[in-house]
Amino acid sequence: MATEDSLSTPRTRQNPAGSALIVVAAWILPGLGHLLLRRWARGLGFFLASGGLALAGFVLRGEIFSLHSDDSFGALGFIADLGSGLFYFVARILETAGPDISHASGDYGTRFLAASGIVNLLGVIDAFGIARGRRS
Amino acid sequence: MLVALMHMSHFGAMVFFALLVSVAFACAGRRSILTRIKYALWCFLLFLAIGVGIAWLMYPLSR
Repeated sequence: MATEDSLSTPRTRQNPAGSALIVVAAWILPGLGHLLLRRWARGLGFFLASGGLALAGFVLRGEIFSLHSDDSFGALGFIADLGSGLFYFVARILETAGPDISHASGDYGTRFLAASGIVNLLGVIDAFGIARGRRS
Repeated sequence: MLVALMHMSHFGAMVFFALLVSVAFACAGRRSILTRIKYALWCFLLFLAIGVGIAWLMYPLSR
């Protein structure tokens, strides 16, 4: 059975600088790290998953946490949100009305935004493993 | 599509979340395309089954 990896050009193990570049690229734009490694399907999957969750979270007016949060929950939320890379910064720029957590949908939006970041961090770890030759 | 997202029901939100997270799990956990699709489907169904199961378990508490 053909795998995605056998369909793509075999990659040699990246040097540390190359791996760092892959990690940064994968964090900035979900899926980009995989695309640079020629894992097209996985890159698309991570982009759609992380992007879809971020878009839903933004549309549902979830809370986008900032660095200066009042409590530890906010700090954890910031780390999770920041994981989505570019989507976090775009959401911060476009957010003008503030979160709407008075409704359940707004609360779902907060979770979606956090899940978007966590999903992308999973993609970053996967891309790093591929770049270092630990994963295929 | 954005309007549909804005007016998602609780169940719709759960299905949407389950679908996208299952895709991400499959991308990270499986190598070949066929096993990835199977794994995504399996994760998605488990998300839904466990979500509905927990909802039923919590139902008596809501009364």
